[in-house]
Amino acid sequence: MNNISQRDAFWNRVYEIARKDTDVVVVSADMGAPALDKFRRDMPSQFVNAGIAEQNAVTIAAGLCLAGKKVFVYAIAPFITLRCLEQIRVENAIMDIPITLVGVGAGFGYEDSGPTHHIIEDIAIMRSMPRIQINSITDSVMASAFADISCDLKTTNYVRLDRQVLPDLYNEGSDFSKGLSILRESDDCYIISTGSMTHTAVDIARHFGERNINIGVIDVYSIPVNGNALAEKIRNAKKLISLEEHFLPGGLGSAVCEVLNDRNIPVRVKRLGLSTDRNYCYKYGGREAIRSYYGVDMDSLKKEIAEYLSVGSLCGAR
Amino acid sequence: MKVSISGLKKKSHGIRKTMMDMCIKAGTGHVTSSLSCIDILVALYHGCIMKHDPGNPEWEERDRFILSKGQASPALYTVLADAGYFDPEKLNRFAQKDGSFGVHLQHDVPGVEITSGSLGQGFGVAAGIALGAKMNRELYMVFTLLGDGECYEGSIWETAMFASHNRLNNLIAIIDRNYLCVTDFTENLIALEPMEDKWKAFGWDVLRINGHSMECIVDSLSTVRSRRSGKPLMIIADTVKGEGVDCISNNPIWHGLSPKGEDADMARICLERSCGNE
Repeated sequence: MNNISQRDAFWNRVYEIARKDTDVVVVSADMGAPALDKFRRDMPSQFVNAGIAEQNAVTIAAGLCLAGKKVFVYAIAPFITLRCLEQIRVENAIMDIPITLVGVGAGFGYEDSGPTHHIIEDIAIMRSMPRIQINSITDSVMASAFADISCDLKTTNYVRLDRQVLPDLYNEGSDFSKGLSILRESDDCYIISTGSMTHTAVDIARHFGERNINIGVIDVYSIPVNGNALAEKIRNAKKLISLEEHFLPGGLGSAVCEVLNDRNIPVRVKRLGLSTDRNYCYKYGGREAIRSYYGVDMDSLKKEIAEYLSVGSLCGAR
Repeated sequence: MKVSISGLKKKSHGIRKTMMDMCIKAGTGHVTSSLSCIDILVALYHGCIMKHDPGNPEWEERDRFILSKGQASPALYTVLADAGYFDPEKLNRFAQKDGSFGVHLQHDVPGVEITSGSLGQGFGVAAGIALGAKMNRELYMVFTLLGDGECYEGSIWETAMFASHNRLNNLIAIIDRNYLCVTDFTENLIALEPMEDKWKAFGWDVLRINGHSMECIVDSLSTVRSRRSGKPLMIIADTVKGEGVDCISNNPIWHGLSPKGEDADMARICLERSCGNE
């Protein structure tokens, strides 16, 4: 599945599930995808186009769920979260009506579209509410698996898909039940990351590994964070780095610090992500160019991490 | 089963009295917003309009009632308690420390389908249930009551378009058109009229009725199950905010309040007087 987008992997699997389960319904805010086109053609009675009206899409989905349906609601990530946040809060968080919110374009996925289409606040906002599980998808294998997992969840689930085709980091059949995976082991230093930044974390770890500095990588894809599993892994670490394509307040780094603080684990966390001091940006020319504006492009990260690990002489090496 | 209009009117009066006593005791509650829709709720629950079973609130074939204007929860709670959904004694603890429900509607009360209070949402949930019923080939109807002020919410019109496009003729919406919002009359604030034209333009069948005439309410609702139209139905019910209690009616100052002290005494007297006038 190396050359398939998370979106296509996810919806292809939903298609297969829906063929066998007529209670599966997709509510789309006028979003397209090859698998969705096929879905609409082959199962028109299970496909609802709500138009570009995300607030209504979420309430319709909640009503469908109350009528016994298993509902996926799909829109561009900022709009399936922030545009209809009040609906999610009431219908899903307060009333506990379980639906699957599917947003595409995590972080700077819509790299050419400007800040209206970037979503760099959703983890902070969605994790502030109970009964919402964020699933920040890393690759197409995970995307496909979470189509199945979503059908079994008894709570609302926000599937946060990247828009770009990223290489697969996981093998078919991987177990995603823990909410996090150790992609690279280390004795004393880990990067804890999510979504597309996990790919960056793997590249950074490889870079330092080639220079005999072993950094582990922990991919956190389900939030709330599985605190016990994370604590077990990092309890003896000396240095931790959180890395996210998300504003720092309330994001993954904050969640990691909460895990440590609540368990009295005295390890310092270097939080790398988007500083709100840099505001929103109108930068184009690709994802790496936007990341560069916030100082989280590959070169900046290598430098910053090298300084944090006090191995500054290695920082500039490519 | 023959419905006695005079019996429904009597029931409405009793519900008004119980609801107001409940709010006066609690010192809170949207009394005037509740008074404007009690006649409609009484017709729905006691006028042989809705299929429902107080002994089995989760009955799968029940008609669903979605109170989208959640601030009228005192009206619905009182109607549900009276119908036997839960012990009326619970009304005495409305919005109190040992109580189980408060000013805005909550879904865990027996007979209540949703939590509402954040306006513009219940309507969409109602449309979703109606669509689900059609997908499942189930025959129950979905009734929903909106506030007129709630129609300022943009999501209402998203749902309006959606419901007519999807031919949700099993969705019956009623607007409690009491002409008042929080601070002013709607037509001073931002005009909502012509409402019938708006809803027709959005693809709905529309009726406009006197929302305090039990005859009109029952007439408009009693045929909804046998309608031949493919469109959803909107009933715009002209009402008075605070109907039945003249001293607090049709005045924005009473929005969201419960009368206290001498005002409460006067309100009770007004309510008794209005009953005597019928």
